[in-house]
Amino acid sequence: MSESRLTLRSRLDELALLSPWVESLAAEHAIPASTVFAIELCLEEALSNVVRHGYRGEPDHPISVEFSARPGELAFVIEDQAPPFDPLTGDLNREAPLPASIEEFPLGGRGIRLMRRFAGSLAYEPLPSGNRLTVRFPVWP
Amino acid sequence: MQISTEELADGITKIALDGRLDIAGAAAVDLKMNVVAGSARRLLIDLQKVSFLGSMGLRSIVLPARAVHSRGGKVVLFAPDEMVESVLKTSGIDSLLPIHHDFAAAIAALQ
Repeated sequence: MSESRLTLRSRLDELALLSPWVESLAAEHAIPASTVFAIELCLEEALSNVVRHGYRGEPDHPISVEFSARPGELAFVIEDQAPPFDPLTGDLNREAPLPASIEEFPLGGRGIRLMRRFAGSLAYEPLPSGNRLTVRFPVWP
Repeated sequence: MQISTEELADGITKIALDGRLDIAGAAAVDLKMNVVAGSARRLLIDLQKVSFLGSMGLRSIVLPARAVHSRGGKVVLFAPDEMVESVLKTSGIDSLLPIHHDFAAAIAALQ
């Protein structure tokens, strides 16, 4: 099992570090392109939620993403030091009905729907002083 | 993220996006998307060369589309690749902005 860890500061422009990191993991672990897309989608969504909601836009707070691979599964564990916030419940997770018009289409809140569709599994747990979100993706040999 | 625009026949404006519509890509194209959409009545958003679409990228499509719809106009999404289309369908935006893979059908949908 190989591991790799990425540490970011809580700024949206730091999320640009995600894609090159995931691409390097993809090369090392032969991750298929569709899974790379799903990983980048979920990590961008999860980390932007930490930046904008968890840390309320305050920069210079730490966020870490730890990758691990085992047969059949890739896992990304996202940890922050923000106030307790479960992205899988509450307002961001409302499974609202699909809007009837483009005017009603919400600009936010779609992210959890995307994560549930593109990740194999999502799991949240609070930490003593922060939050942990684990995102898993199945891979086939 | 690159953006180009072209005026086609029948008053159709085509916006072609090339690259990743992630947070940075969305920020790079938002202004021009909204400027172009501000005067377009028939808008074809060409997604053939979009290699990534996240939720901020969705916003970059929804806001200009709203502007066109608010003036009674029409918008179609053209030829997203499989993963990008999956994002569009999961978000439900395809029920409001039709996706076409055939250019003639896309043009016809804007008449």
